[in-house]
Amino acid sequence: MDLQNDNGALEKIRAAQNPDGGWPYHKGGSWTEPTVYALLAHHAGQAAAPRASEALAWLRAAQRPDGGWPPRRSIDQSTWVTALVALLPPETIGEERYARGIEWLLGQSGMESTRAFRLREFLRKGEVREGPDESGWAWFPGTAAWVTPTCLGILALKKCYWRQPSTRLRERIEAAQAFLLSRRCADGGWNHGSARALGYNSAFYPETTGQALLALSGIDPALLRDSFDLARGFFRECRPPGGAAWLRLGLLAHQQLPAGAPTFSMPSRTLTDTAVTYLAQRAEQGYNVFAD
Amino acid sequence: MKSCMKRRDFLLGSLGALGLAGCARPPAIRRRSLVSIVRAPEYSQEVYGTMRRVLAEHKLQVRGRRVVLKPNLVEFEPASTINTNPILVHAALEAFRSLGAEVAIAEGPGHRRGTLDLADAAGYFRVIPDFENIFTDLNLDEVSRVRLPHPVSRLDSLYLPNTVLGCDLLVSMPKMKTHHWVGATLSMKNLFGLVPGGVYGWPKNVLHWAGISESIVDLHSLFPRPFAIVDGIVGMDGNGPIQGRPKPVGVIVSGHDPVAVDATCCRIMEIEPSRIDYLTLAAGLDRLEAKNIQQIGEKLEGVATPFDLILELRSLRRVSA
Repeated sequence: MDLQNDNGALEKIRAAQNPDGGWPYHKGGSWTEPTVYALLAHHAGQAAAPRASEALAWLRAAQRPDGGWPPRRSIDQSTWVTALVALLPPETIGEERYARGIEWLLGQSGMESTRAFRLREFLRKGEVREGPDESGWAWFPGTAAWVTPTCLGILALKKCYWRQPSTRLRERIEAAQAFLLSRRCADGGWNHGSARALGYNSAFYPETTGQALLALSGIDPALLRDSFDLARGFFRECRPPGGAAWLRLGLLAHQQLPAGAPTFSMPSRTLTDTAVTYLAQRAEQGYNVFAD
Repeated sequence: MKSCMKRRDFLLGSLGALGLAGCARPPAIRRRSLVSIVRAPEYSQEVYGTMRRVLAEHKLQVRGRRVVLKPNLVEFEPASTINTNPILVHAALEAFRSLGAEVAIAEGPGHRRGTLDLADAAGYFRVIPDFENIFTDLNLDEVSRVRLPHPVSRLDSLYLPNTVLGCDLLVSMPKMKTHHWVGATLSMKNLFGLVPGGVYGWPKNVLHWAGISESIVDLHSLFPRPFAIVDGIVGMDGNGPIQGRPKPVGVIVSGHDPVAVDATCCRIMEIEPSRIDYLTLAAGLDRLEAKNIQQIGEKLEGVATPFDLILELRSLRRVSA
């Protein structure tokens, strides 16, 4: 990897590493999410992080007894960031730890798709939900499913499925993809959660639209035509770098990224934006950490 | 590290309990809460002088104290009235500094992850010098767990940002807006922005599942004596807090008692405060009555203007202003 052509992203990421081995979002203590993105960026760049062993030790120490990961080590709750850790190559965090993380993910779903909640809704409103089984992931256990954690859950399980295909994994991925399709906004994109609230349409967000397109790779493109048009049209507007990078990754997953699509020059203000922008850049160069 | 964290949790929980105990002690004679309504027809240089007068009227003693201004940042819509206007926040910053306070600005948006990008789009970088160095993204701040001694919601504890837990005075600076779930979003609902997205996600859905109104009351119980400055220069009506329309009102509403401030704002919006669940849960009907609020400045009748309410909220309309 030619580090001269990465806009200094890896150097910037390396400089932000904390003495404890983890990374902060901006400044301050280490969090799981930026730590994983920093490692993914090095993986995409095919470059060894100078203090990778310390970063992996930080992550290993953060894993909770239930197999999941907390947002940071001082928080005693496994959350959505478990899906992020499961995007790392299993051998880096250890096969056994990886397997426990996947099991934690498989055991989680948004509260609205649980039997208890469905029964309660039936008793309260007489509502019986029809259609395909939909089940996404929540940001925090005990709450509803949302777009971002669902996308990352799908991406993590897909990587696992490519290594060891199983009906259980496939069904869970399909249920989560059905959830995403059901949450698509009228404009063709994805908001952070609901497509409508109190009868009003929600507007799309670039980052969640990109994430959803990435997580829906392999879906019949005819189902996503409006989404492609929306995402491509958005490149004409200047927006924060993280959203633009996710849009690029999403369109790239469906071979819909227009040739010569403009890159964004807005500064990345968090390490996660820096890393995701770099991941998108590397994906366009053929090194996509989200693909098989 | 772990034992240290537990000790800190315990201490913070105990502090919260002590604060609540102090709050819950029935005063011999309940003093009426002071709420000021001042006219501010537009976001202009005049707001700076107005803000100094507001703080003087409320006799704030903040010399040497750490003050955190908490505006409401929601969406990337520079031309809309979704976010607290940066001129008002800058005016408050200057006014508190002139009183000798050490002032910071902090916010943790509920939907958008790029807080600094959001603040940039909302004009904060342009209006407030050195903004990035005095701003803390509460979604990504260092956190401590705080126990709720007497929770009204289903929560028993919350992780909260140390920037806010460690300050001497929290200043809630919301936009005066309708809210499609709870009726109105004002200084108490603005406290949702204290809950760290880095822990709970975007949105902070844990608060919704625990009961929105109940969670507002629980957060209020942890910060019972903040100062509130409501941006009512141009509010938002209709399908707030995001998809509503600009509603010029031309006022700044302030006070030490968020319940009294929010009840007064409701009256300005021609919403009946006793029909806002979180207000009645936090204070009971008696404390919401106009006679129990010492209002100074502009008369309510002179500034009240009906905020358009979506169909689901029409029952909140105040019958007699």
